[in-house]
Amino acid sequence: MRGFRLSDRQVGILFMLPFLVTAGAFMVWPVAEAVRLAFYSYNPLRPDDLTWVGFENFERIFNDPLFWESFSQALVWTGWSIVLQTLLGVGLAMLLHVALPGIAVFRGLLLFPYIVPTVVIALNWRWIFNSEIGIVNHALVSLGIIEQNIAWLSTPNMAMTSAVLLNVWKYTPFVIICVLARLQTIPTELYDAAKVDGAGAWRRFTDITLPMLKEVLVVVIVFRTIWTFNKFEEIYLLTRGGPGTSTFNLAVYAFEEGMANLRLGVAAATGVVMIVLLLAGTVVYVRVSGFGQEEKAT
Amino acid sequence: MSAKIVLGRVALYALLSAVTFLVCFPLVWAFFTSVKPKEEIFRWPPTLWPESWTLENYRALLEGKQAYFQAGAAAASGPPPSAFFLDWFLNSVIVTLGTTAISTIVSTLAAYSLTRFRFPGQRAVPYLALVGYMVPSIIFVFPMFLVMADLRLTDTLFSLILGYVCITLPFCMWLMWAFFRGVPIEIEEAALVDGASRLRVFWEIVLPTAWPGIIAAAIFTLIVSWNDYLFGRVFMNSMENLPLTVGVMHFFDGTHVDWGLMMASSVMMTVPMAVLFMLLQKHLVAGFGAGAVKG
Amino acid sequence: MSTTSLLATRRAALLGGSALAAGLAAPALAQNQPRVARVWGEPGPYGGVFVQGMNEWAERNNAGIRFEVEQIPWDGVTVKLTTDLAARRPPALISVESPIAYQLAAEGLLEPVEDVNNAIRARERLVDGFSLEQFGAWKGVQYAVPVHHQPCLLVVQQDIVNELGLGDPASWNWDQFANAARTISERKPGMAGYTMALGRNLCADYHITQFIWQAGGMTWDPRDGFKTVFDSPATVEAFDFIRRLHPFMPRAAVEFSFLQVVDQHVAGRTGMSAYWGRTMGRAAEETPQLFNNMEYYLNPAHPGTGMRWSWTDINGWIIPRRDNAFIRETKEAVTYVSNNVDWLVRYSQSLMPNVGPVFKDVATAPAMLAHPFYQSKRRSLDVIFSQSVPHTCNTGLELRHGVNPLAGSAHGRSVWAQAVQRMLLNNEQPRQAVQWGQRQFETIRRDNARMLAG
Repeated sequence: MRGFRLSDRQVGILFMLPFLVTAGAFMVWPVAEAVRLAFYSYNPLRPDDLTWVGFENFERIFNDPLFWESFSQALVWTGWSIVLQTLLGVGLAMLLHVALPGIAVFRGLLLFPYIVPTVVIALNWRWIFNSEIGIVNHALVSLGIIEQNIAWLSTPNMAMTSAVLLNVWKYTPFVIICVLARLQTIPTELYDAAKVDGAGAWRRFTDITLPMLKEVLVVVIVFRTIWTFNKFEEIYLLTRGGPGTSTFNLAVYAFEEGMANLRLGVAAATGVVMIVLLLAGTVVYVRVSGFGQEEKAT
Repeated sequence: MSAKIVLGRVALYALLSAVTFLVCFPLVWAFFTSVKPKEEIFRWPPTLWPESWTLENYRALLEGKQAYFQAGAAAASGPPPSAFFLDWFLNSVIVTLGTTAISTIVSTLAAYSLTRFRFPGQRAVPYLALVGYMVPSIIFVFPMFLVMADLRLTDTLFSLILGYVCITLPFCMWLMWAFFRGVPIEIEEAALVDGASRLRVFWEIVLPTAWPGIIAAAIFTLIVSWNDYLFGRVFMNSMENLPLTVGVMHFFDGTHVDWGLMMASSVMMTVPMAVLFMLLQKHLVAGFGAGAVKG
Repeated sequence: MSTTSLLATRRAALLGGSALAAGLAAPALAQNQPRVARVWGEPGPYGGVFVQGMNEWAERNNAGIRFEVEQIPWDGVTVKLTTDLAARRPPALISVESPIAYQLAAEGLLEPVEDVNNAIRARERLVDGFSLEQFGAWKGVQYAVPVHHQPCLLVVQQDIVNELGLGDPASWNWDQFANAARTISERKPGMAGYTMALGRNLCADYHITQFIWQAGGMTWDPRDGFKTVFDSPATVEAFDFIRRLHPFMPRAAVEFSFLQVVDQHVAGRTGMSAYWGRTMGRAAEETPQLFNNMEYYLNPAHPGTGMRWSWTDINGWIIPRRDNAFIRETKEAVTYVSNNVDWLVRYSQSLMPNVGPVFKDVATAPAMLAHPFYQSKRRSLDVIFSQSVPHTCNTGLELRHGVNPLAGSAHGRSVWAQAVQRMLLNNEQPRQAVQWGQRQFETIRRDNARMLAG
């Protein structure tokens, strides 16, 4: 490196350059394209045919009952997923935080679903929840819990339940990871002091643990809400939005509009709505996480 | 140890075992299905523990290509999907590694630069990265696809790598940015004062301390690009160019599902991630704790 | 960033990665390989057989190209088409469901194939009852080379029907048929009376529209400027009939597609089902005792109209016109195979009795008749291959009133299936569900006004 020495400024620019180029070309540009496309009519079968239609695509989706149906179903799907993930996640993290021999094995196995490919688990779900030849129905019937096979994926409510279950299965580990990381930073002296004061396990949980977890939980919940709301693969691979359109969310709606209905403009307009929603979510996140204040402090 | 404590522990273990059983069951079941012969897979009532074990399904996946080429003209009807399994696997490996390399390198450099130098708009970058992190792939996928189509890049692994870089870079950027902000600047400054060049400081002092962050970013990228389905579905078309996630859907062929092959591929798709997970589990917790949560 | 450098990088990435698995990937990397022309076929071996024949042509003529078949799962056709055509990299040759072929023809995406049809004397050779136009023509131009036909019929387990004394399915009308479905589901525990697809998919669209036509309804009327005529009393009646049959179907029927209908039947969980020839083929492979008792019948007649319409894929080869580098070679190879009765017999026999021969010389070829099914299942084969022909139409050729390219788009989002699901899942009245469908179909018509005019 001698004889050829970059100034600090040059190094700084040099280091930033790849990021700026990549981000510009593959993030800013596509998002700008997506926004632009929302104002055009574009049928992928006629790629040379691009017509400006103004706000027509937006009018179209806002007048489409299926859009609103997808929207409210997305709320149901997100709400249940988040509540269950949070409760289970905190509960399991508490169990896994106990220092016992062999706990690492449990920890590994319980975090595992997070890295299982969605395709794998969706196919598995279709196999084990198959109403006719699935092992779940077989187990429930032979244990005498149910009398007749449950049509897990073919009634609107059960399909939504199955989809939520899948999401909970796959993403509860994320909550566990985050909560565990926080739990490990809580000084044990706090608990010891509380014990001395005669606080029971539940009191220790509500008085010490929960307040300590509050911050991380709020962040995790905001995050998971934004992601779950926009999830595509879990639903598409499990139910394709069915039966009927009972498990559509906005992402599946956008995909179907773009690919099956050949209206990429409408799909893009749906995408713009999703962006607006998630920007709102991000503002919430920034507020609750103290992300901005930290910045000012430096 | 009092009886109460022992009892508590037994209850705890029992509870944990029950939950773990439920959580792991789908994957265990996939594995059992994959080693059963065809008749047993569809037997009713199903057998929990395989009565006879076979590696037939795995052999079909691993040797499908060879078998097809050997059969030559005797193979009446074009290659079966299983003949492409190794191609798919290889594609996924290439794409995953490529994406991981690009995303981690680019984000590490940029995050270091952002935290150590002054730029106009410096504060905006992490915010934008945060927003970018939240943008779901369904929004990127169509415009990206059109861009790829214009560049005549669709159906190439490179297009997939670019797609995955675009969905992983923001998080990597953010994670590394958070990480470098936490690394004390004093040692670097001391070295600089001693006359070391900035590049040398970066290479010899900064990088070694940054490993945990880099590993966390890399794990995230590996998981995302190995698991993605949407980009593969939209960008890729030729059978031999598909990533695993899209390829295995071909075992559903309209009037027939080969659950044995399907579950064997599920297992083989999960194993690389599982190995990685076991090796890096600690970093996952630490890294995600630092990056994802504290921001 | 220039395209060439990106391509170079991609190649480098591919090569680098391939080196890791050198042995396994070796055949794909060999130099001086012939150019590859992709052919899309339906799932199943027959497309592959045809492509083998095309490769025989390529070898004999030193054409320097190799045809490669890609199987497109039915439900994935639309996405695949959309992405490949939008990316301007179409395959050299396609075999898809008729409605989609008609749609592509009207979109102006296909190469006219009058020359191929002349070279193979298609008009003279066609099995009686078919016309060349039915395979795919638009505004007088021929866009498809005939390859096979597949009617959707009533598949019956004869032993059960006999045991319960339900009469001869060949003479059933809707009422007798519904009665049979009810009797089976009541008297045979664990068994559905009748199985059809009702999921949001192509298969359900096909099964549903058969009933609509039998009642005399249709979706668009090509004789009247493609007016949307879905909300007729006939459609409402068909919907009502499906609702009547629904209790006798498997409970999961509302998520069924092609696969599940066949599964249900081959697993012995239904007495009757609606399907194409494949159910018989799979039964022969997997459950011989079911196969022995399986018979195909024309669909039950509507009591008023007497119609037995059958959703039939009148399938032809189509050739994308734009960005297709292999048009000449493809035409020659298709001509070669289509003129070769042996290859076409192998084609039909590769998945008996799923793909019916469309040329007389193939249908009567001794090699064709040598297939064992002609011994064991003569009557059913006759129904599938010949007797069904007068009753064939499909969503792009409703009641045989003319080709209608709108159906392809409607299948893209399974509007027929969705309408029926509104009735079955959301408990809408048939009339309401039909009116919902009418609005969807009307939107599709409006969206494509330019295509219809152009």
